[in-house]
Formats: sequence, structure tokens, C-alpha cells
Amino acid sequence: MTCPYLAYLREGDNKSFDHERPFCGATESFVSPMQADLCNDRFDFHHTTHCSIYQEYERNTELETPIDRMVSPIDE
Amino acid sequence: MAYTDYLNRDKLMLTVATTGGVHGKDANPNLPEQPEEIAEQVRECEKLGAAIVHVHGRSETGENNSARLQEVNDAIRERCDDIIIQNTTGGQAVLEERIKGIRTDPLPEMASLDMGPFNRDRHIITEHNRHNIDLLAEEMQSKGIKPELEVFNNGHLNEVYRLIETGLLDEPYYINIIFGGGTFSIPSPKNVLNLVQNLPDNSKFNLLATGPHQLPLTTMGMILGGHVRVGMEDNLYFRRGEPVKSNAQLVERAANIASNLDRELATPDEAREILGMK
Repeated sequence: MTCPYLAYLREGDNKSFDHERPFCGATESFVSPMQADLCNDRFDFHHTTHCSIYQEYERNTELETPIDRMVSPIDE
Repeated sequence: MAYTDYLNRDKLMLTVATTGGVHGKDANPNLPEQPEEIAEQVRECEKLGAAIVHVHGRSETGENNSARLQEVNDAIRERCDDIIIQNTTGGQAVLEERIKGIRTDPLPEMASLDMGPFNRDRHIITEHNRHNIDLLAEEMQSKGIKPELEVFNNGHLNEVYRLIETGLLDEPYYINIIFGGGTFSIPSPKNVLNLVQNLPDNSKFNLLATGPHQLPLTTMGMILGGHVRVGMEDNLYFRRGEPVKSNAQLVERAANIASNLDRELATPDEAREILGMK
């Protein structure tokens, strides 16, 4: 299971690209290629264990579901 | 390799690492990710004197994808004259992915070989264990692929000596000493001297330093008779606050420094001779 905050976008964080890229809804920024392995739970990685952003965001967020947080600023 | 090699005016092998696996276009939009744009930049670097290109593969989304090494290799061969292709076998993927770097068709002339694990963010890249290192070294030796031995920190030099004892390396040993943050060797002139003094006999060294350390420490590497790697894999800024415009910009600067130090750049064919690949 991939991170619930992960999305693939062409635009975000005041940047735009030719192709969709991995985007973190928690930090509202594009993520690096190596970070994307964690977001996607590739190899032996799991976002709940290895991603400090996920862990911190989960501790701090009061939203009901991660997807609420991720979708709203992008669709507006 | 030592200062005497500099005084002897040994030719300098300049490697460009255009892309890497760490940064994306979100960090610097000039970083090439797709095969054609990588090959275009490699061609410019070859014209400026780069003899070796260190290659990574990326998916269309900019993520690491070793399956695309073949496309990148093909594009470089199509656009360039003779530059030596050095595929990565590093990164944080599993061995089955990393080994694709030495299974392209045709085979690369060189490949990187990480000498041990290192930290990345809050995890450790553990796949570079002795079992995997030896497997990769064995396949490289059997296929005639020259390994560049990646010494991310001082302790990894012990692993070079271990690997030499196994008989899985052929002389001259080509050792890339790496300086930067995290678990890389601490970037300082003293540490460069220390590592160079501890290199095994019959070895050649390349110096890689990340970010703001690329310029001063690669210059030091040239003075010590070593070879150097520059490029956007290791450094996204030309100077403080000024993002790199292209890999050629970094290669041109390194080539100019070498010229000012009276060290002629090795052609790809001369690099093959230096590394015992001919």
C-alpha cells in the first residue's frame, strides 16, 4: 500500500512539469526520487516506518482522512 | 597516486555524473532525466573533455528505474563519439534491480560498485552487503567490466582491501573517494590527504565531493594526481545561490581548472589505457 498522501501531479508548489511527478500532500511539495521509493513502499521500505514526514504529519493532523487534506488545495 | 603524479603531468580523467538518483527536476529543472535530454547533455560534456559518463535511469515520472539504463545507453551511443559509459549498480533498490546496470546490451565498459551501506534520511541503504558486493564484482570481472569502487567513507576503503584479497579485482584498482554529508567522508582537505595516503598500491583514484565541496576538493584531487568527477548528480549549484544551468557548465569549469594546472585531459581512449581496459 502506498502512502495516502502520495499523488502524481504535473503542477504544484508553484512548479509545473511535462510529466506527472510524485507529490507529497503532507508537505505540499514534490518529492525526490529516493523519497518516492518510501512513498510507494518499494523494496523493503514502508512509509509508516521509514518516512519521518508521514509520521510527523500523522501525529499532528486533525483531519479525518489524509485524502481530504491532499485533494482540497489542488482542486481549488 | 600522489603529488608526483601531478608533477609528472599524468593525464586527468574527467567523469560527468549528469543525473544520479537523488535529485529531481523539482530541485533544479535543468537536471536531465529522460534518455534524450541526458544524451544531449552528455554530448556537450564529451565535447568539453569528459572521458567517462556515470549513468542512471529514470522513469517518465523522474523516479529511479534501472530498466531504463538501456534506453539511456542507446541514446548516449547514438549521440556521442566515444565516451566511456559507466552504469550505476548503486542506489537503494534491491540487487535484482541494481544488477541491470551490468546487463545492458552491449555491456557498459564500466560500472560503479558500492563498497558498503550508508544512511539516507532516516533509513539505511542495506543492500550493499558483502554478499551482493562480491556477486557484482564477480560478474563484472567475468564480463570485463571495469568497476569504479565507491568509497563513501573511510571504512569502505577496508572493503577495497578485502575485495582485492578475494581476487575479484584487476589492477589498476579504480577507487572513487567520496566526500559530503551524512555517512560520507567528512569533506575536508585533511581527510582527502588521509584517504589518498591509505590507497592500495597499483590504484588510481577519482575524487567526488558533493554540493559546495565539489569545486575545492576536486581541485585538490587534481593537484594530488587524481582524477575527478563533476556533474549535477553531486551538485546542483554553480556557486552559492546560482543553480547550475547544465552539466556542461560544471564540466567546462573543471576542464579549465585542469588546464590552468597544466594537466591535460585524457581522451576516452587514453582513459581506457590508464584503467587497463585495452
